[in-house]
Amino acid sequence: MKPTPRKRSLRSRFRGGPGRVLLAVGLPVVLVAVWWAASAGSTDFYRPPLSRILVAFADTWTWDRIRSDVLPSLARLAVGYALALVGGVALGVLVGSSRTVRALLEPLLEFLRAIPPPVLVPVFILLSGLGDRTKVLVIAFGCVWPVLLNTVEGVRGRDEVLSDTCRSYGIHGVLRLRHLVLRSASPQIVTGARQALSIAIILMVISEMIAANNGLGFTVVQFQRGFQIPEMWSGVLLLGLLGVALAGAFQLAERRLLGWYHGQRTGRRER
Amino acid sequence: MLEVWNLRKVYDAHGRRVEAIGDLTFTVPGGQFACVVGPSGCGKTTLLRCAAGLLPATAGEIIVDGARVTSPPAGLAVVFQEYGRSLFPWLRVRDNVALPLKAQRIARSRRDTLVDEALAAVGLADAHTAYPWQLSGGMQQRVAIARAIAYQPRVLLMDEPFAAVDAQTRADLEDLIRAVWRRLGVTLLFVTHDIDEAVYLGQRVIVLSAAPTRVAEDLAVDLPADRDQLTTRADARFAELRGAVYAQIQKVKTGRTEP
Amino acid sequence: MRRRSAALGLVGLVGFALVLEVVPRTGLLPAEYAPPTSRILAALSGEVRRPEFWTALLDTLRTWGLGLAIAVAAGIAVGVPLGAVPLLRQATATTVEFLRPIPSVALIPLVIVLYGSTVRSTLVLVVYAAFWQVLVQVLHGVADVDPVAHDTARSYGLGRWSRVRYLLWPTALPYVVTGIRLATSVALILAITGELVIGSPGLGKEIDRAQQGGAVPVVYALILVTGLLGVLANVGTRAVERRVLAWHPAARREVIP
Repeated sequence: MKPTPRKRSLRSRFRGGPGRVLLAVGLPVVLVAVWWAASAGSTDFYRPPLSRILVAFADTWTWDRIRSDVLPSLARLAVGYALALVGGVALGVLVGSSRTVRALLEPLLEFLRAIPPPVLVPVFILLSGLGDRTKVLVIAFGCVWPVLLNTVEGVRGRDEVLSDTCRSYGIHGVLRLRHLVLRSASPQIVTGARQALSIAIILMVISEMIAANNGLGFTVVQFQRGFQIPEMWSGVLLLGLLGVALAGAFQLAERRLLGWYHGQRTGRRER
Repeated sequence: MLEVWNLRKVYDAHGRRVEAIGDLTFTVPGGQFACVVGPSGCGKTTLLRCAAGLLPATAGEIIVDGARVTSPPAGLAVVFQEYGRSLFPWLRVRDNVALPLKAQRIARSRRDTLVDEALAAVGLADAHTAYPWQLSGGMQQRVAIARAIAYQPRVLLMDEPFAAVDAQTRADLEDLIRAVWRRLGVTLLFVTHDIDEAVYLGQRVIVLSAAPTRVAEDLAVDLPADRDQLTTRADARFAELRGAVYAQIQKVKTGRTEP
Repeated sequence: MRRRSAALGLVGLVGFALVLEVVPRTGLLPAEYAPPTSRILAALSGEVRRPEFWTALLDTLRTWGLGLAIAVAAGIAVGVPLGAVPLLRQATATTVEFLRPIPSVALIPLVIVLYGSTVRSTLVLVVYAAFWQVLVQVLHGVADVDPVAHDTARSYGLGRWSRVRYLLWPTALPYVVTGIRLATSVALILAITGELVIGSPGLGKEIDRAQQGGAVPVVYALILVTGLLGVLANVGTRAVERRVLAWHPAARREVIP
């Protein structure tokens, strides 16, 4: 009796190069196609066809517009975020290194962190006006807390054996700061930095929607108020793309910085 | 040279006072390989940490190379049991070995030479670009030993360094450490719970009592200088010494307070 | 030891309040725009006596709670099948990675034109942001099921439903709870943001109103209230998380959210 041929499982059909690519782009392509088709004949003023949105995208976001609106937004984001990182790590190391200081400040810091960052925008506008400085300060002040608190956590959880090793071998000062304190806390710091990035983006957008005269958020709100709907949609798309791009960049940076950490954890799991 | 004079260590743990070490006195002459054994919880690790300057003594003193130990002394290196946690996972093997030398501001070329020699001495010359977590347990401990070698200490303290590796790796590491000791001529204080290992490795075995710890017995190991896992361990004298140490430990385990 | 930490923490908070009392009076910060603590507390007690405040608070809580509930339900409903079927997971991986980092606030102009300044607009924001927090954690949780345990269960003839109940759910539960914790704080942020920017009813709208009207101490008082809400949410969800984790010490692996 001849053996029946085995049915290839659905999964095994997708093995190999072309299968992988199909899996990766399949659903996104389908979703975009569905959106295109569903909105194609739309006469709804507020829900234009995807084709119109894409045309508006190309027309609106010219190099000039990018230079006058997008780049300043990104610049403010970058400066605010950098301030938060540096300040958060520095303060976090100081606070985390002393049990007393930590006990003193932790509830206060947790409270400050729990304040939803966007409510600070009106306050900062009151205190320092409507300019660039305010926006940078809002971003910095809003996203420093996750960095700070996670740094404190990371510094606190430092391995005793590693600490003893440094003491025995006379590793002090800058070398110790770099290797024992900062590097060993880096997984925690990176977690904090990731949360801070989301908050920074939110604050960048909100601060521009509330009070600005240039910037990506400002432009999109202007489109909305002026009922330039396809342009508004294109702005929303751009904001979305920005979020994705920044997240991707962050992941790349994280992989480089924490390569040792992921390698160590995989190794531990396998053992 | 390592001298311990009337060492006493009392801990305050959750309101209870624990006298870990009662009164320890012994001297390890320069270049000697001395092993310390004792029942569980007899403060072997505490002794080592005090000698390493990582823990302050309650009373008594420890003198390393003529200087009283108040903080980690220069010229003294420690190899911990938890090799995985004592190596920096974000540094490659050679950078791990080089770090203490960097802290001493030794010039780059000299540093590289010391690192290469140390890694060669432990048989890891090929692995110098690997990360510690990419290596097996035994190899990681070798890296820790290489780091100690490169540091060029006069005194080497080892805290149950081979307790966390498998038996075959342990045998290799035991032979390695004897070879290293003979080459460098360091004063070696080796703490272990393994009686066979203590007799196999040391020129002398110090047996500690249970807490509050004192020296229960101090045996000279008169086995030949060239030792070998097969022949030495089959030797009659080895069995005798081993038996003596074992008997002593049994005695201190049951007899709680020794005068 | 813990009592000492708690006492020190209290000292820290009180100290901060004192600093904020003194500094505006010295003129380092303009007292008009950074009122001293006593004035803020006075404004707070004034607010608490107004029924509008309580209405707004309830509105915020309602938006927050509803959005969170929808996000959690959707997150679990989508996450479990997605995580359990490897093919589905691979097919949706890129979509999830692309949609997840889109900032919820980017949708603000969109929801304003589509739904106006209503609770529905803010809800869209809240649900969108919180959903991803839950989904990611659920995916991790389902993926964490020990394959050896899974094979053992199958070889003992445990049906699909039993496997879900005895294997999948206990393993995934700690992750789900973590997801809920993260989603809770994100949901609060977006709820308040929506009220502030879109103008749906709630504390955020009250803050905007107070700021427009120049009632600066009221603005700070309301910010204080939102901070307290956030703290309560954090403390509450952490407490729940700890209790759940206490039953599953071995099943839990480190997950850095």
